[in-house]
Amino acid sequence: MNKLKKNKNESYYSSPVKLSSNHLLAIEGMEKSEIQDLIERADYFANLDRHTNTKVLQGYVVLNVFFENSTRTRVSFELAARRLGAEVINISLINSSIKKGESLLDTASTLNAMRPDLLIVRHPHSGAPLLFADYLNCSIINAGDGRHEHPTQALLDALTIKRRVGYLEGLKISICGDIANSRVARSNIHLLTTMGAEVRCVAPSTLMPSNLQNLGVKCFTNMKMGIKDADVVMLLRLQNERMTGTENPSEREYFKFFGLDEAKLALANPNAVIMHPGPMNRGVEIASALADDTNRSLIKTQVEMGVAVRMSIIEALNHTKNKVMKN
Amino acid sequence: MTFTVLKSIKVLNPKTYFNDISDVVICNNKIFSICKDFKTEVTQQDRQINIYDCNGLTMSPGLIDMRVNIGKTENLMAIQKIAAENGITSMVILPNQTPKLNNPSIIDHIKRQSENPNLTKVNIYGAATKDDHGLEMSEIGLMSEMGAIGFTNGNKSIKNSLVMRRLMSYAAMINRPIIQHAEDEDLSGLNKASTTLINGEMNEGEISTRLGLIGIPSCAEVIIVERDIRLAKLTGASYHVAHISTRDSINVIREAKKIGLKVTCDTAPPYFALNETSLLSYNTAFKLSPPLRKEDDRLAVIEGIQDGTIDAIASDHRARSKDTKAQPFSAASVGASGIETLFLMTLELVHKKIIDLNKAISLLTINPANVLKMKKPSLEKNELADFIIFDENYPDVINQNILKTSPTPFDRRKIKGKILGTFINGQVAHINQILKDKIIK
Repeated sequence: MNKLKKNKNESYYSSPVKLSSNHLLAIEGMEKSEIQDLIERADYFANLDRHTNTKVLQGYVVLNVFFENSTRTRVSFELAARRLGAEVINISLINSSIKKGESLLDTASTLNAMRPDLLIVRHPHSGAPLLFADYLNCSIINAGDGRHEHPTQALLDALTIKRRVGYLEGLKISICGDIANSRVARSNIHLLTTMGAEVRCVAPSTLMPSNLQNLGVKCFTNMKMGIKDADVVMLLRLQNERMTGTENPSEREYFKFFGLDEAKLALANPNAVIMHPGPMNRGVEIASALADDTNRSLIKTQVEMGVAVRMSIIEALNHTKNKVMKN
Repeated sequence: MTFTVLKSIKVLNPKTYFNDISDVVICNNKIFSICKDFKTEVTQQDRQINIYDCNGLTMSPGLIDMRVNIGKTENLMAIQKIAAENGITSMVILPNQTPKLNNPSIIDHIKRQSENPNLTKVNIYGAATKDDHGLEMSEIGLMSEMGAIGFTNGNKSIKNSLVMRRLMSYAAMINRPIIQHAEDEDLSGLNKASTTLINGEMNEGEISTRLGLIGIPSCAEVIIVERDIRLAKLTGASYHVAHISTRDSINVIREAKKIGLKVTCDTAPPYFALNETSLLSYNTAFKLSPPLRKEDDRLAVIEGIQDGTIDAIASDHRARSKDTKAQPFSAASVGASGIETLFLMTLELVHKKIIDLNKAISLLTINPANVLKMKKPSLEKNELADFIIFDENYPDVINQNILKTSPTPFDRRKIKGKILGTFINGQVAHINQILKDKIIK
């Protein structure tokens, strides 16, 4: 962590990161050093003047393939790729070839035939990016797959925390909400535990996945206990259809027990910060006033850091691929 | 008259516990003799005799596979042929194919259509209920007369307790078993009510949490088994649980057997040879129903096989096209091929010293016959000559590229054993080159 702190001031970390894989599919299985390098490099990008020329990937073709709705992630990836000088093509496949009955692999091989350098894929099914990685020649970034992982979100969350607090190791971080259906939660659990943070998961028992403690976290169904002394409170979005007598009796009951309000937050570390991957349900998982409290809420910083993190990843994958080819 | 002589073969006959090296003489469709020296039985020079030198090989009754799904794209005759090549001389097909096997005329039709003296014999489970909702009892008496040997809703559980009670009661009257796929569909998320929001994909536990796949709790199986056992007690029915996969269900069946209920069960090779960790790479060949369970459940299946709680091993063959499997896990089809690996994987239990060869063969022959109230196959004089010849120690590797059905969950697995010949009605249904080379000229 000393290295991280040093870099914040000096930002000398000015060369691309080399990864052990051509793809970024999941945080689970990544080395601590890789995560650290990506965050440091992203920190460097975040510190740059927005008009600094970072266009090192001229002619690099990025396909942004989204099988699920997304605004912030898609735009963030596009901006990151463009700031690196790459050519970006956005493809929304929510209503397109899928509806025509084309299989995922046919879609993949069609896209492959266009010889992209990088495919950024979001898909509603867990594990789908792995399938792409098996059948395509280009690099793949997982931009969120089902309930599995959302690795770039975890990296940008880590960068956000690191820039605010200075370090990750030993921090008490409470992830609260619909853990069972959250890919953000899984990626954050893997990343933060790898980096040595103390991760707690807070959820109603109906949304707590089986044997979660085996992933190295502490599980709480009482939010007050779960966020006691926490340095970071990370909230997750609860889907509307899960509040109507399915996993939860009602919206107001959820807010009473699992929504973040002043009273619950008072139990956390006085300097605790609030995070949310968005989009938020104000008044469900978070009191509206807290979401807008610029002293405590890092929600907008998260979005901002997204671009820097994705720049470091895209650059790293290009660098890694070149290295592999030269070898 | 043509005689086939298998010289110096190890004859394994579980029904009579006979296990000795003998000469076996086959004539027409029957076993003519099992003796120490065939020359004492076959003397006339003008008769044509084919003599195979079977030294080192083993002979057993042909296998009975009590659970085979014929898929939409599969051809029954092709499956019969593949089954014969793999030692299966008799198989039972499930009713949930297209069209559904839910009336006597279709049972009769398939019976006739599948009759071929050189192919695996086809037996049929009739659909227990007329429709997919599982609410109306089918004409199980009439189907039974046409040859349906048991009743089931295939890969769907018979869900409604009253329907199940009536089915059991009625089936007991005509002395046919009810075969259940035990799964509480509400718990596993297969019941498409608007409030469930889930669609179970694999066993619930740490692995499902890591993979972000929706878990099916293992109690979804035992809940149905426990209910059904109470109904079996009430009705006196013969009740059979197919592809049992959890420790809890096996314990419940063990207790039911102890108090003398007519309750039986089978399992399939994936449930004693694999566990849920196979799914860690999202490999859809392991997407099965019931799902692969945790290691403790696998060990319980093995214990159940050893102590006789589990009566039989079936292939649970449910081949799927590559197209429906080359999908993200959630979208991929459920099931895997089995008829080509049933014998080899069961033999693996012998090589691992979990059971002896006699027990293994029993699980694949007389035990399923017993459950289904079929005539027990036996290698004795004047019995029908349905049998297999195999080399139990032949080293081999299961290879998907060579198999005719897919996907196999056992790809690249090292195994020992090979079917060299399958005889159905005394005729060669399949013969391997190794055995052909053993003909004494």
